[in-house]
Amino acid sequence: MFSLALKEIHFFKLKYSLIGFILFLMASLVFIVSGLAQGLSNDNIAALEDMAATRFYLQEDAENRLDQSGYIIDELEEEIPRDTGWQPLLTQMYRLDAASSETLLDVTLIPIDPEAFLYPSVIEGEDLNDSDMLEIVVDRTMKADGVNIGDTLYEADQDLTFTVVGFTENQTYRHSPIIYIAETAFYNLDLTPHQVANAIVIEEVNEELQTDIHQTLNDGTWVEKDAIIQAVPGHSSEQMSLMMMIAFLIIIAVFVLAAFFYILTIQKLNQFGVLKAIGAKNLFLVGTTLLQVFCLTVISLILATAFTIFVSNILPEGMPFEFDLSLIASYSIMILIVSLLGSLLSSIRIVKVDPQQAMGRTE
Amino acid sequence: MIAPLVLENVTKAFKDGEQYINILQDISFTAEKGKFTAVIGPSGSGKSTFLSIAGALLTPDHGEVFVNSQSIASYKDKQLANVRLTSIGYIFQAANLVPYLKVNEQLKLVAQMKGNWDREAKQWLGQLLESVGLKARAEYYPHQLSGGEKQRVAIARAFMNNPEIILADEPTANLDQARSDEIVALIAREVKEKEKAAVMVTHDESLLKYCDSVYRMEQGKLIKGK
Repeated sequence: MFSLALKEIHFFKLKYSLIGFILFLMASLVFIVSGLAQGLSNDNIAALEDMAATRFYLQEDAENRLDQSGYIIDELEEEIPRDTGWQPLLTQMYRLDAASSETLLDVTLIPIDPEAFLYPSVIEGEDLNDSDMLEIVVDRTMKADGVNIGDTLYEADQDLTFTVVGFTENQTYRHSPIIYIAETAFYNLDLTPHQVANAIVIEEVNEELQTDIHQTLNDGTWVEKDAIIQAVPGHSSEQMSLMMMIAFLIIIAVFVLAAFFYILTIQKLNQFGVLKAIGAKNLFLVGTTLLQVFCLTVISLILATAFTIFVSNILPEGMPFEFDLSLIASYSIMILIVSLLGSLLSSIRIVKVDPQQAMGRTE
Repeated sequence: MIAPLVLENVTKAFKDGEQYINILQDISFTAEKGKFTAVIGPSGSGKSTFLSIAGALLTPDHGEVFVNSQSIASYKDKQLANVRLTSIGYIFQAANLVPYLKVNEQLKLVAQMKGNWDREAKQWLGQLLESVGLKARAEYYPHQLSGGEKQRVAIARAFMNNPEIILADEPTANLDQARSDEIVALIAREVKEKEKAAVMVTHDESLLKYCDSVYRMEQGKLIKGK
């Protein structure tokens, strides 16, 4: 069965490589779009996904958006000490000037307690200290802008100069890198007379603490991290439109492949009739056809994966593209199933072929 | 001795518009081992239907078909396919070879489908190609062969699983007179040599000299003699 399937592909190289090529293009497109979706998603919400927080306390009319919520937390600090398990989360958008870049860099500044659970740790360089030095750790995507350890970044409005001491990874939010600065250093700048936060976060669910915080601030609700992620501007719409593209690609693939294999089968009906007349069983003929589809699809998927790796290497560095092998594997399995289903349609025709048609028709 | 192929009182009707037309009426027929029988008759006389029923491709409406004394009238599709694979060798009007297989692979395929591709089968394949004069063409694809050569491959394929019955359906329809003689002489020789029960349907009366007996099909009846 196997050798018959391969011999036919080998003999009709052109015919089968054309079908394989279409499969390859389709799979490549699915892989690249999914890589882009993954990359964009990372760019937008990676920091939130990686954040060691499970519940967020936000103002009720903020619609789960961090930037729409804000608290003065002087009273909270006095009433409930932080070591009960909460941390303030404050995000500030800044535009910084780097010597290595001609344009200003958009960043999200997060003042943080380097000892607390919100701090992500560096992958390169040194961790933050709880000092009043203007030292920062930045996401490694800033390397693409030429930022190195020891470089300084300048903020013009307040005339501040930050020094980069380390790099973090997966710390991007709303398509910009996050830079972390020690809380002590931030409040030392006297930019605000109060302690402020967009949200209060906790690491683990704690009913008592949550109730206490709610009673103290008295304006807001606790929401899960997933709701915060979904509310990040652009995230849902980006992902939904890309997912829709992928879904449509796969649906198109089903029909294109099914049509191709159907035509191939129709062409071969007479041959199937002859094979049946000399004793071939349905299972053998259908099995051979499915095997051909399987081989073609697997080869095309391997080539498409290789092509996607190639594409991810030649894309410019700033392009949000994430090569995720497990994601590609799951799409591959989906495409494989879809193409086998498509060829089942032609199997019905094979089963229906009457072996008698091999007998003389020109009487 | 029991004949490999016996038809007893076989009747077959097809629906033509509103009416049923009896294609075969109460036909009895026996094909003996080592005998080459010809069936002739005008178009539409039911020759092909007769051969289809004899070849387990069609089941009769009434009557019995015995292949190696097994009644196959009540067999299911899968069992019929097995009968065709092991007990019957077909030679069709067109050679009907698989386009993407080499000559030796054509023969190997039917052995593999039967599940007995071994050293012995390999030797048998060699002998068969030798006896149809195609040893030198073993590695050729069908499109590289002439019409006569293709038909000879088909003959070798029919003998590959060593069936007891050989059925030929107008095997010379696409060949010129010289080739036709050559092909039918070859079938006759192989049938004698390998002791098969063979039936050939043809309209070419010049080929009857190679056959042991002749039947004529006329209006659904099978009559012995020209």
